[in-house]
Amino acid sequence: MSLRRRTLLKVIVLGDSGVGKTSLMNQYVHKKFSQQYKATIGADFVTKELQIDDRLVTLQIWDTAGQERFQSLGVAFYRGADCCVLVYDVNVMKSFDTLENWHEEFLKQANPPDPRAFPFILLGNKIDIDGGNSRVVSEKKAKDWCASKGNIPYFETSAKEDYNVDAAFLCIAKAALANEHEQDIYFQGIPEAAVPENEQRGGCAC
Amino acid sequence: MLDGTEDEEKFLAAGIAGLQQNSFYMHRALDSNNLRDALKYSAQMLSELRTSKLSPHKYYELYMRAFDQLRKLEMFFEEETRRGCSIIDLYELVQHAGNILPRLYLLCTVGSVYIKSKEAPAKDVLKDLVEMCRGIQHPVRGLFLRSYLSQVSRDKLPDIGSEYEGDADTVADAVEFVLQNFTEMNKLWVRMQHQGPAREKEKREKERSELRDLVGKNLHVLSQIEGVDLDMYKDVVLPRVLEQVVNCKDELAQFYLMDCIIQVFPDEYHLQTLDVLLGAYPQLQTSVDIKTVLSQLMERLSNYAASSAEVLPEFLQVEAFSKLSNAIGKVIEAQPDMPTVGVVTLYSSLLTFTLHVHPERLDYADQVLGACVKKLSGKGKIEDNKATKQIVALLSAPLEKYNDIMTALKLSNYPRVMEYLDIPTTKVMATVIIQSIMKNGTRISTSEKVEALFELIKGLIKDSDGIPNDELDEDDFKEEQNSVARLIQMLYNDDAEEMFKIIDTVRKHILTGGPKRLPFTVPPLVFSSLKLVRQLQGQEENPFGDDASTTPKKIFQLLNQTIETLSGVLAPELALQLYLQCAEAANDCDLEPVAYEFFTQAYILYEEEISDSRAQITAIHLIIGTLQRMHVFGVENRDTLTHKATGYSAKLLKKPDQCRAVYACSHLFWVDDHDNMKDGERVLLCLKRALRIANAAQQMANAARGSTGSVMLFIEILNKYLYFFEKGNLQVTVAAIQGLIELIMNEMQGDTTTPDPAADAFLASTMRYIEFQKQKGGAVGEKYEAIKVSHAG
Repeated sequence: MSLRRRTLLKVIVLGDSGVGKTSLMNQYVHKKFSQQYKATIGADFVTKELQIDDRLVTLQIWDTAGQERFQSLGVAFYRGADCCVLVYDVNVMKSFDTLENWHEEFLKQANPPDPRAFPFILLGNKIDIDGGNSRVVSEKKAKDWCASKGNIPYFETSAKEDYNVDAAFLCIAKAALANEHEQDIYFQGIPEAAVPENEQRGGCAC
Repeated sequence: MLDGTEDEEKFLAAGIAGLQQNSFYMHRALDSNNLRDALKYSAQMLSELRTSKLSPHKYYELYMRAFDQLRKLEMFFEEETRRGCSIIDLYELVQHAGNILPRLYLLCTVGSVYIKSKEAPAKDVLKDLVEMCRGIQHPVRGLFLRSYLSQVSRDKLPDIGSEYEGDADTVADAVEFVLQNFTEMNKLWVRMQHQGPAREKEKREKERSELRDLVGKNLHVLSQIEGVDLDMYKDVVLPRVLEQVVNCKDELAQFYLMDCIIQVFPDEYHLQTLDVLLGAYPQLQTSVDIKTVLSQLMERLSNYAASSAEVLPEFLQVEAFSKLSNAIGKVIEAQPDMPTVGVVTLYSSLLTFTLHVHPERLDYADQVLGACVKKLSGKGKIEDNKATKQIVALLSAPLEKYNDIMTALKLSNYPRVMEYLDIPTTKVMATVIIQSIMKNGTRISTSEKVEALFELIKGLIKDSDGIPNDELDEDDFKEEQNSVARLIQMLYNDDAEEMFKIIDTVRKHILTGGPKRLPFTVPPLVFSSLKLVRQLQGQEENPFGDDASTTPKKIFQLLNQTIETLSGVLAPELALQLYLQCAEAANDCDLEPVAYEFFTQAYILYEEEISDSRAQITAIHLIIGTLQRMHVFGVENRDTLTHKATGYSAKLLKKPDQCRAVYACSHLFWVDDHDNMKDGERVLLCLKRALRIANAAQQMANAARGSTGSVMLFIEILNKYLYFFEKGNLQVTVAAIQGLIELIMNEMQGDTTTPDPAADAFLASTMRYIEFQKQKGGAVGEKYEAIKVSHAG
């Protein structure tokens, strides 16, 4: 039964282009950081295993394209998410303003059973820049927003300086774990009429 | 025929149902550690992906569900190997699946575990998998399968510093694997357009577009490989990718992949490979929208340059500007049919680029504008909306960069580009320029600069030849002209000579503005000139003394002519106000004839042009107020002017207005601090005349309505009496005041009096004032003591 004890948690990271989604993940999973800006295309994940209390947990962290034109296939991968991480750049007001859209769009597309209870986490990234002198979104403003969304946990991070990244992801993992609704196949209604195994449904012979 | 989407939903639902059912059995098998059944049901589950009936979007939904299930299978495989099952056997075993597509999905899944087990070099497994995937040649299925391979192998590439790197496995193998997968995927993607009937081409192109990120993803994977340093990028990655892009000869793929290359790889790589990258553009299909891709490249590089001054040397080292400039020239030449918007977009991006990278090289910026002008020449005014928007962006870029129109004025080609704007856009641009000046408080301090500036904003200054301005919204027009007015106030130089030249230049331009604009633009010019007059007046004597230099007199002459234009355009009231302002300024300069001339002009306007009775009242009070402050006039001139003013006052249409104007005239004969201008007798004459008019007004009211009007006028006159009494005018006697108070009391108690609370309050407060002055004591108190106040009512 060891298989049943290992839990797979799906986490989606969203936010505007250039706020540091990929960098946060790279820092967390690979402990590396690059100053270079490289756009992300489509969506894919990295995994990270961690121990929470006595449970071995595999985090499947989905990095996404912040630029809409690199999201041509849509967001089917939101399905089954256990936690959604919203990221903005504390130095760019627009990236904070659009959080509302990301939040709303995620709930709309992922369609979780209880949207109000679905765990989100907000990360305000790049707090290292210019010693914090160029930040335009105050911690209070971010926290107020979090409060308005039902007390979303908030972390200020720097992927560059590995500040608060582990703590943030640990919180993410715990939130996801708490939410992990039993997606177990046993609890899903199984259609009574079994489809004949060799029925052709339009596929070719390959 | 069934609706296509509805149909698709049905197919998707069926697919999901089949998938769920088989995954149920798969899970049961996993939980009972039944490998055989696990493989059987997982293969059946994956068979759902063999469908051809779903659009990429829907297929992706199905794929994601299968994908999630495969993660559980993968964990099971790992458990199996830990329990002693040979991974090599597993790798063999899954290949017994009957259908190739499920077989390959299973193979990739086991392959992932195989690599993780390190029982074989990663590169061998990867190579095997990427080769085996050739078995699927159906584009959609093939693309998703390969994207699955790419996904599960991502964290197992033998990258530098990765645990899968070893003697046999190097980053070169990782790169080779991804490149190969990319190449195969691109081929599938490009080939897709040739499959199916020609009439469905549009639908197919849409589907291809949806699939694009699966192909582009490979480039993202490459960019994330640690070992892809500049050398490897330059020597292997970029050439191989570009080769694929160029050779596929497909418009959609070329446009998208060029964009991907620019976006996923770092800026410093682009700078160091600019030749190669730019060299690829002319080799693309002519239908590819190169201008967008090139603009995106320049935009990225501009942002990079703006990010830190430390990176600028990189740009210089590779001569980025001239390379980009050349590339743009070639692209435009190669595409003679490129619409204007494309041309302007390219130059606009290049300009932004050079402003960021070479802010000190104004000649570069001018070069870009010059090249743009060259391409625009012969096209006439640009009317395409998008193109004009781009030109505005082009022309705004230097303003934003330097925060200073002066710098833009140094660009000789700047006004030449503006020539190509249509009228509305010229105005938009002029507004942008003025806003920039306002925002930055830019000082424009020579007549030459002013000349250049007005040339740029002429869209707001005058109507274009032959095109009337009628269709313009009134409010917009006002806003435009108000901004011009603000601009005029901003033009300033400490040096009087230069300032005079500036005023003259502005004057020359605004006089071309026509009747609708002059009322907005003349006043600021007048005040600007008067400011200069005051500045000169502070100076002792004209230091140069020659005729050519600026004197108040000269300015006043100019002002006289300028204001005259207003009376010609049906704004006589405004002109009158400005004449009076000038008269007052001339007064301060001790220029009697000049001041007299301005008054004469004002009087002429009053007599000939101002006929509305309300306007007359306003004007006459302005005249009286101004005249009262004039001290420059000799007795004769003053008499003439005051006589006229009193005459106008008595001739106003309504009695109450007459009365008020006449008692106001009393002040013309009593000026504090000027003993020669205190004529008590004439003050009293005015007040008595005002009283007579007030009486007449009462009688008229009585005759017309059967009741007397308000006593307000009498109380007002009483206050004038008190004023002059207090000022020491001996003609104003206690008896007269007493008489007036009694008169007011009687009037108020009369049967026919209309009650007027305002008058009651005014009288009460006047009485309180008298009382207060009495109690003050001293000379004033003594004076007031003689006045007996009877308390009414």
